[in-house]
Amino acid sequence: MNFLALVKLTIPVMMGYIPLGMAFGLLLSKLLIPWYYALFMSMFIFAGSGQFLILTLFASQATILEIGIATFLLNLRHTFYGLSMISTFKEFSWKKHYLIFGLTDETFALLKTSEVPEANREKAYLWITFLNQCYWIVGSVVGAILGNILPFNYEGIEFSLTALFVVLSIELYKKNKLHKPFFVSLIIGFLGMLVFPPQKMLILSLCLAAFVLIVFKRSMESGK
Amino acid sequence: MESSYLIGGIIMAMCATYATRVIPFIWFRTREPSPLIKYIELNMPVMIMVILVFYALKDVKWEIYPYGLAEIIGVSVAIGLHVKFKNALLSIFIATLVYMVLIQKIL
Repeated sequence: MNFLALVKLTIPVMMGYIPLGMAFGLLLSKLLIPWYYALFMSMFIFAGSGQFLILTLFASQATILEIGIATFLLNLRHTFYGLSMISTFKEFSWKKHYLIFGLTDETFALLKTSEVPEANREKAYLWITFLNQCYWIVGSVVGAILGNILPFNYEGIEFSLTALFVVLSIELYKKNKLHKPFFVSLIIGFLGMLVFPPQKMLILSLCLAAFVLIVFKRSMESGK
Repeated sequence: MESSYLIGGIIMAMCATYATRVIPFIWFRTREPSPLIKYIELNMPVMIMVILVFYALKDVKWEIYPYGLAEIIGVSVAIGLHVKFKNALLSIFIATLVYMVLIQKIL
């Protein structure tokens, strides 16, 4: 896969990360935190909703331990992503630590659906992760410095991430041998959205999905 | 805010976030993944992706005007285009455009 194809692959994430990063930077500047902290956070933490959470915790003067616990719990869902990447990353060199570090929702989504030949996989994955992080960094720094003077109305552009997840769901549905997990997760996701409290919706739905997947393994594998 | 507090918080958040992502790799570094883990590895991604769709829609206010209409239309456009043309970029781009026009100009 050449570089241009990789950039093309990450365009949907760029369309989501730049405006979302800008929203993050804007919020940071409203808390009167210097702009270079937006740079540090996006470089060293690289977690979308996690960074928004940390800003709210900063604003309420939470202790450093509280920040650690809250971030850990919010990002616990990423454990499932790692679990789905174990055998893929196994053959990779030490550079896989950057891939693990950069395993956000959107990076996971792209890595899991991109069809890279095995020989180039490590390099391509590193580029995808790096490009995604660059978009996020650029967005958050631009937002922190000039978020409130930009005239362009980009309201709603973050829908590109929703559309990305929709498209990749269809791709994974077609790729997966078993079709039942897809339909089960439609039900879980729908009910989770209506029933679970919004901040805990993702982790609760994922745990429920994993639970159903394991307990009903036999019926998942029967039929098609 | 003091810089020592901000830097401390950032380092803590960095470690906590990395920990959530590295746990499975540490756990299975020495152990061979069981058939059950392989089954999860194979089937969990599609479930994660579908749930992420609903997660992205979690803040929609379904009970008040415009009743999530823009989101429903946007998602439908993405599904329709993708099933028909199988071009990810096209589906995502058009769906986002439709959504932006809807919430900025129409609804």
